[in-house]
Parts: sequence; C-alpha cells; structure tokens
Amino acid sequence: MTSSVLTQAQTDEEEVSPGPAIDMRDQVVKGQGSRWSGIVISGFIALYVIFTLIPFFIMLTTALKPAGEALNLPATGDWGGALKKLFVFTPTFEHFSSLFSQNNFSKYLLNSVLAAVGSAVISVVFGTTAAYAISRGRFRGKGDLYFWIISTRMAPVVAVTVPLYAIFKNLGLLNTIPGLVLAYTVFNLPFAIWILKGFFDAVPYDIEEAYMVDGHSRWQALLKIVPLVVPGLAAVLVLCILLAWNDYIFAAVMGGESAKTLPVATQGLKSASGIDWGQIMAAGTVTVAPMLLLGIVIRKYMVQGLTMGAVKQ
Amino acid sequence: MSVAETAFVETQAPAPAPKPNKVKPRRFLLPLLLPAVILLALLSIYPLGWLIYSSFHSVSLAPGAPQEWVGGDNWSRMIKDPLYWHSWGILAKYSIVSMALEVGLGTLLAVLLNRSKHEKVLVTLMLMPMMMAPVVAGLLWQYLYNGTFGWYFWFLESVGLLHGGTILGDPSLALWAIVVVDVWEWTPLVALIVLSGLKLVPKDQMEASWMDGAGPVRSFFQVALPSIKASLIIAVLLRFMDNIRIIDHFIALTGGGPANSTKVLPLFLYEQSFSFFDLGYGSTIALTLLLVTILLGKFVVTSFEEREPKRLKDEGEVL
Repeated sequence: MTSSVLTQAQTDEEEVSPGPAIDMRDQVVKGQGSRWSGIVISGFIALYVIFTLIPFFIMLTTALKPAGEALNLPATGDWGGALKKLFVFTPTFEHFSSLFSQNNFSKYLLNSVLAAVGSAVISVVFGTTAAYAISRGRFRGKGDLYFWIISTRMAPVVAVTVPLYAIFKNLGLLNTIPGLVLAYTVFNLPFAIWILKGFFDAVPYDIEEAYMVDGHSRWQALLKIVPLVVPGLAAVLVLCILLAWNDYIFAAVMGGESAKTLPVATQGLKSASGIDWGQIMAAGTVTVAPMLLLGIVIRKYMVQGLTMGAVKQ
Repeated sequence: MSVAETAFVETQAPAPAPKPNKVKPRRFLLPLLLPAVILLALLSIYPLGWLIYSSFHSVSLAPGAPQEWVGGDNWSRMIKDPLYWHSWGILAKYSIVSMALEVGLGTLLAVLLNRSKHEKVLVTLMLMPMMMAPVVAGLLWQYLYNGTFGWYFWFLESVGLLHGGTILGDPSLALWAIVVVDVWEWTPLVALIVLSGLKLVPKDQMEASWMDGAGPVRSFFQVALPSIKASLIIAVLLRFMDNIRIIDHFIALTGGGPANSTKVLPLFLYEQSFSFFDLGYGSTIALTLLLVTILLGKFVVTSFEEREPKRLKDEGEVL
C-alpha cells in the first residue's frame, strides 16, 4: 500500500466518522491514534524487543569481559552499579583465543561446517528432484507419501536417535562425520522436499509446457524453470544448514570426540573442571554468530522455513 | 473479493488441465522421485522396524551380546513405570503452559506489529532468538538464572520477587523457568504466524465492525479471530510438535532435576537409552512417543491443507 492511499483513506474517514475523531480503532486500523495509546503500544513493543535482545547482549559482553569481572555482580538493588557494570568494561579476547588455542574449537568448528553443509547439500539435491516430481506428478498414494515425508520431519529427535545409534554402531558410522551427515539428512531431506514443493507449486506448469511445445525435451524444460526457484533453493540450503548446525542430541549421542560439533563442545565446557562462564559465553557466541548472519541474509524465507511453509512472507 | 485475496490468487496461479505429453511422465518423474524416497526409507522405515523389534527384546550394546526375546516385558514395565506417566504429565504441563503464554503474547504482539511502521526491523530483531542453537540458549539462560552471578536472578531479587534460594534448584520453580526460556525463543514465531493470518483479514470488515460500535477488543474477537483461527491452530501444533521433538533446553538447564520436576518424556527416553543404555526399554518408549507424533502430524497436515488455497484437482500429470 502506498502512503498516498493511506492519507486519502484517512481524510475520508475524518470527514464521515462521527464521534471522537481519535480513538483506539485508528490505532489498529491505520497505525495511528491517540498519543497515549500510541505510547503504550510502542512502550510494550520496546519492552518486548529489549526482553528479546538482553540475553544476546549479556552473552556477548560476558564473553568479552576479563575472567572474574563478569562474575562480580553489584549488590541487590544497586541499579546504578548495575548499569555501570553492564556497559563499562575493558574488552578482551582471551576467552575467544583460549577456545581455539586450548580447547580444540577450530576442529569442532570444522566438524560443524562439514556436517551441516554436507547434509544440506544432499538434502537440497535429492529434495529438489523429489519435490519437483511430487509437485508435477499425480499418482496414487501421493497423499500417503507426502504424509510419510512430513512425519519423518516431525519425529522426535530422541526417538530417531535410539535406532540410528544401534544401526550406525553396527555399520561403523558412529563418531564419524558421514554418520552425522546421514543423521541430519533424516530431518533435512523431508524438510527440503516439503518446502521446495511449495516453491515448485508456485511456478505455473504452463512454462514447461510452452518449452516442450517449442521442441525442448522434458529435462531441458525442467532446467529452464530452475532459475525461477534458485532463490528458494538457496534459502532452503541455508535453512538446512541452520537446522543441522543447531542440533545437539544427534551430535552428542553419535558424534563422540572425533565428530564433536560446536553445540556439543559448548555444553561440554560446562562439565570440565568447574564452570568458566566467560568461556562458555564465548563458545556460545562462536556457535550462534554465523547462524545469525545467515539467518538475516535469508530473513525473507526464515519464517516460511520455520513454520514448514505455513507462512509465506 | 478483497485486496488480499486477489494478491494471493495472482501469486498462486493455478495450473491448467494437463495436456497430452510426448514422453511418458512415469519414465521422467519416477527417477527424480526415487533417490530421495529410497534414502528416506533407509533412514526412517528401517529404524522404525528396528524399534519395533527391539521393544520385544532386551538389547545390550556390549559386543557380541545376544539380543534376548523378552516378549511383552518392556511394554508391561513401561505401563507400570510411575516415572513414565509422570514424564507425560510434566510434558503436558510444560506444553500447555508455554503454549498458552506464547499464543497469548504472540497474538498481542502480532496485532500491535500489524500496523507498525517499523514492522520489518522489529520482525528481524524478533527472529534472532530462533536462530540460536537451543542448547546454547539453555546454557545462556542457566547463566542468567544463576544465584550468584546471574543477571536475571539479580534483577528478580532487586525488584523483590525473589529472596535468596535458587531458581533452577527449586522443584516448584524450575519447570516455569524453562517455560520462560521457551517463551523467549519461540513467541516471535507464533507472533509471525498470527501476523500472516492477520494480513488476510479484510480491512473494510474490521472498519465496518468498528463503525457498528464494537470496541477494538470485541471487533478483534468477532472479525479477526475467525480469520486467524487457522493460523493459531498451526502455531499451536508446530509448537507442540517441537516440545516433543527438542529437549535441548532441558538438557542444558536442569537435566531433568531437581527431583524429576522437569523430566519431560523425551528426556526420560534419552536417559533410559543413553545413560542406562537400556535400548530395548528405550525403543518401547520411543514407539509410544512416535505414535503421538504421527497422530499430531495427521492434524498438522490437515490444517495446513485447509489453509492452502484450493488447487485444481487435475493439476499435473498422471504417474
């Protein structure tokens, strides 16, 4: 909607509407209303955003504070001291550097990247072909196939881990990156099929037909429409990376030391000889930061992905 | 037809009826479909078979140890296990409370965000918690709740809500503390789902309702709520699904304690399987959990289809 339309509607409203010119309905209908309701609403949203962001702020500042300084809170009720404590400190990178120099985090980072990207690529490649076939094909049992695919995505992680653990143990896949890649494919592949089918559904079949009428083969026609879904493919790739990267259970049970990923390593810092919160927060930052960046890049598709395509923005 | 509906139809142009094809579709589409289906079958149907088999056996992971047939022992043990039923209860309590909070707060946020000038920025900021690995979120909140150097603990004490003690060590508080973490991480998702539903509410209807003298609250319940009902159902189902699926918050924050007060069913299953390595019993519990998921999944698929625009039945090609 353009702003001129909005202004137009607004003036019309003012002319015809009886009673108080300003009330709640203007707030909700047109985004403006009495100053007080506006202030209350903005205040509520602002508080909610602060509630959302504070944990991030504390994670980052704790990671940057020198050891000891973070763990020293002001006296109860000393609000001024708290503000000073929160914002005034000399940043240091000691926690970050010790993660990589003493705690092997470069290896865990690499493991995380390999496992997440590996399963994302497999899921997107096989997911694309399957989604295309489901979107374009019409066959008996399609509904059942679709339901089976989606319930695989919804299966509780722990319930899937129990049999996979035993099976992978027999196959020698425990504590290996390929094992983790396969485990992540259990939920990434159905996810990719589900979301990508939505993208293919949005491409009219006419386009392929037109190419085929022009003498192109089916494969050529398929390749011709691929550019139309490339943004979706990229988004699904990123979402698959995100889902696998953030996993804890699979990696904790099946990764062992040799395929340890960042979330497992971060949680592992807790049990090792006392809790160094500065270091855990640094590890948390290392785990979360890449996903925040990726998530913001594909912001448009984020909600669609997280709601299994129920919401299209 | 309203503006929103028109826009929707434009982006979702329905495909026309199929026309004769040169190559048999089966020979073209089947090879595309099969690799994914075979891979998925290996990763889901075979493990399911293994689960059913193991639920009637005593499974030991020691090398060379035989798997003994134990009949219905695992099943009768499960039915008699008070901790099993206790964990279902905790899961239900946790899910219902966190969902009620998320739906309430999320709907409120959605209504307020709907007309905000800064919707894009606000939505981006609110998306951030969802990108955080749940186990890291759990660790972070464990730190915030910490009795000696946690900021939230300090805050709650400073405003007079807490007087010493602990949050996560208190059986009557721990579960609610984890509910707050869930609310923090996932309320924005509910808000965004509801927001997408609100965008479909015809604006003139909203205005007409106000003209008739209904207040904003009544108009919301009379006009907006029926339109966002489908969105709310999807939000609730997705959240419930994830509460069964993901237990990372629990593992990081309490590990099921204190005194089993936060031991939700998937965590109970995790413990039986990977702390006690009783995979036979674990399989039995896993099967019951899967059964509930499948039933829920049926609801999800149905409610998704209801929200999707009706597609032409004869779209695509016969395989």
